[in-house]
Amino acid sequence: MTNIESNTDLQHGAARLASGVSTARSTVASLKDIRKTYYMGALAVEVLHGISLDFYAGDYISIMGPSGCGKSTLMNILGCLDQPTAGKYFLGTEDTSLMQDDELSAIRGARLGFIFQSYNLIQQLDVLENIEMPLFYQGYSEQDSHEIAMGLAQRVGLQDRVDHKPFELSGGQQQRVAIARALAVDPLIILADEPTGNLDTKSGAEILKIFDELHDQGKTLIMVTHSDELAERSQRWVRLRDGLVESDDRRNS
Amino acid sequence: MTDAILDAPINASSEPASARARTGSLFVRYKKITNVGIKSIYSHGLRSLLTVLGIVIGVAAVIAMLAVSEGASYEAQQQFRDLGASNILLKSVKPVEVEESTSRGFGPPQAIVYGLTYGDIDTIRLSIPGVTNVISSRIVKKNVWNLGNSMNTDVVGTAVDYPTSRNYNLRAGRFFSEAEVRDHSNVVVLSDEVASVLFPIDNPLGETVKIDSDYYNIVGIMESEGFSNLGQNQAGSSNSAPSRIFIPITSSKSRFGETTTRQTGGGMETETVELHEAIIQIDNQETVIEIGEIIDQILERRHKDVDYAIEIPLALLRQAEESALRDQIVAGAIAGISLLVGGIGIMNIMLASVTERTREIGIRRALGAKKRDIIAQFLIEAVILSGVGGLIGVVLGIIIPFVISAFWGMTTIVTAFAPILAFSISALIGVIFGIYPSMRAADMDPVEALRHE
Repeated sequence: MTNIESNTDLQHGAARLASGVSTARSTVASLKDIRKTYYMGALAVEVLHGISLDFYAGDYISIMGPSGCGKSTLMNILGCLDQPTAGKYFLGTEDTSLMQDDELSAIRGARLGFIFQSYNLIQQLDVLENIEMPLFYQGYSEQDSHEIAMGLAQRVGLQDRVDHKPFELSGGQQQRVAIARALAVDPLIILADEPTGNLDTKSGAEILKIFDELHDQGKTLIMVTHSDELAERSQRWVRLRDGLVESDDRRNS
Repeated sequence: MTDAILDAPINASSEPASARARTGSLFVRYKKITNVGIKSIYSHGLRSLLTVLGIVIGVAAVIAMLAVSEGASYEAQQQFRDLGASNILLKSVKPVEVEESTSRGFGPPQAIVYGLTYGDIDTIRLSIPGVTNVISSRIVKKNVWNLGNSMNTDVVGTAVDYPTSRNYNLRAGRFFSEAEVRDHSNVVVLSDEVASVLFPIDNPLGETVKIDSDYYNIVGIMESEGFSNLGQNQAGSSNSAPSRIFIPITSSKSRFGETTTRQTGGGMETETVELHEAIIQIDNQETVIEIGEIIDQILERRHKDVDYAIEIPLALLRQAEESALRDQIVAGAIAGISLLVGGIGIMNIMLASVTERTREIGIRRALGAKKRDIIAQFLIEAVILSGVGGLIGVVLGIIIPFVISAFWGMTTIVTAFAPILAFSISALIGVIFGIYPSMRAADMDPVEALRHE
């Protein structure tokens, strides 16, 4: 497990096949005794009490637990939006706990894809521009980002709406734009926070279908959800309770 | 394309992702950020317009004020140039002490003798190199008659060069000639004002006017613009009174004599003055002020009392320029305050914009924007705002002086410098007043920003 050196010659989809024997698989992210304390004036509240988890390439993970269990805090740390008070978080080969703000921005932009419950699209920009945004911060040329964004719009079935503004789209369509945006830089991990929470059943199902496809293509997905039904789709379930890992189960198939 | 992305091998390469990114040019980056800024400004059209109003007014005020003061200083310079920038004016002044001593005295009134003398002029002419010409004048107040019409006016006895030395123009006829001066001829050149009073209908050329008991032939009419009241007020020259006539200095001396008697409150007052005024022409404008000092020293030695005055139009011009500069600084300060207020307006609206777009900032940060990317975005937006305001201000600032000229007849000059200066200041204000809101945007905690409703 100490070997977090990434494996470059992994075959396409290999991670998905190599189930059960964790040491043989490539680790994409690793949490080591993560603690997070918030300070409210003189009051210190420890939200995470030491969480250690390893995420492997091709994992499709649901993180579950009741409100206040530390899911969001854990997601923020996984997303490099927040830093742990103690412990180490390796993303790929890099130790994020030592990173400065600029490096954290860079790693977020290059290695992570975010999908939010409320889509978080920028309203002034059209669909294509929203998808292009992470590429812009990575310094892609206009032509390249345009090509990539067009391809992804097509992938999520919105090729006819690329010049629409987010408010002209349905919730399901907006979330699909967000998925395309999350895929733009071909991230190491896709982080989804209650991705279907604001959607009706049908739209939610569409989103989950896309997630299934991404999983089939070997993408690593980490999803926070309340819903058991949603979690059913994934292949590994991490349950949190009071800032600790309560259970960590894997589908054996 | 799609397949290429989605079916790519799992990205677990040890090579940092950023190295894979093809780097777009800096220009493209800023173009993109600029577009975002323009969109954001455009989406709040009215608010943005009201915001930049302060800058618009400030920039327009800077340009208009500079144009007006530039025009005023140009006018002043023009007037002093009319007096002759390479001239030195001397005039006789009745000394105060002398006046007091005679009023206390008893017996028959004694003639007060004061003022410039022929000797002074000769000394100046002969001892100072660079003096090309000296035009001496005698000025006597007389009643001038044409039949029943009369006018009390200054009769200026002078030399033939007088009009050219003062840049005065003739409206009709000619000035008197060298020969007429030599011959003590009874010829006269009237000013426009005098001519219009004495000859309301007829053409005065070829007619005569009567002064004391002598008749003088009218040979020319002087343009009235020549005697700008500036000469009177600002240059303080006594011979610039608008109503006056000119005769040869020789005629003045032989007809009127050097001693004049006036009726005053307490009785008769008699004074003897050889010359009332002299215009000294210098060959080189650079040395005018120096020569003025030398003349002052010469006259100081030759005169017991300070019964003369020296005027150097060039020195007055310099003073006028200095005061014009002061005016410009005051005007600039006022306009600067307006720009400052405009800048604060921009800061205010940028702070509102940052708060409104907290969520957007959070999203951008999550998607890889560094703090400096956020700063650049809001700074560019502030600069666009102030720049657009500056442009509108430049247009207004160029129009306003024309309006002022058209309605109030003031001379206004818009130099290329003024719009450039004003626009640069407005852009600078965008930067200065954009920094704080941009920093605030960049310093937001991404987690908090994403949670913001």
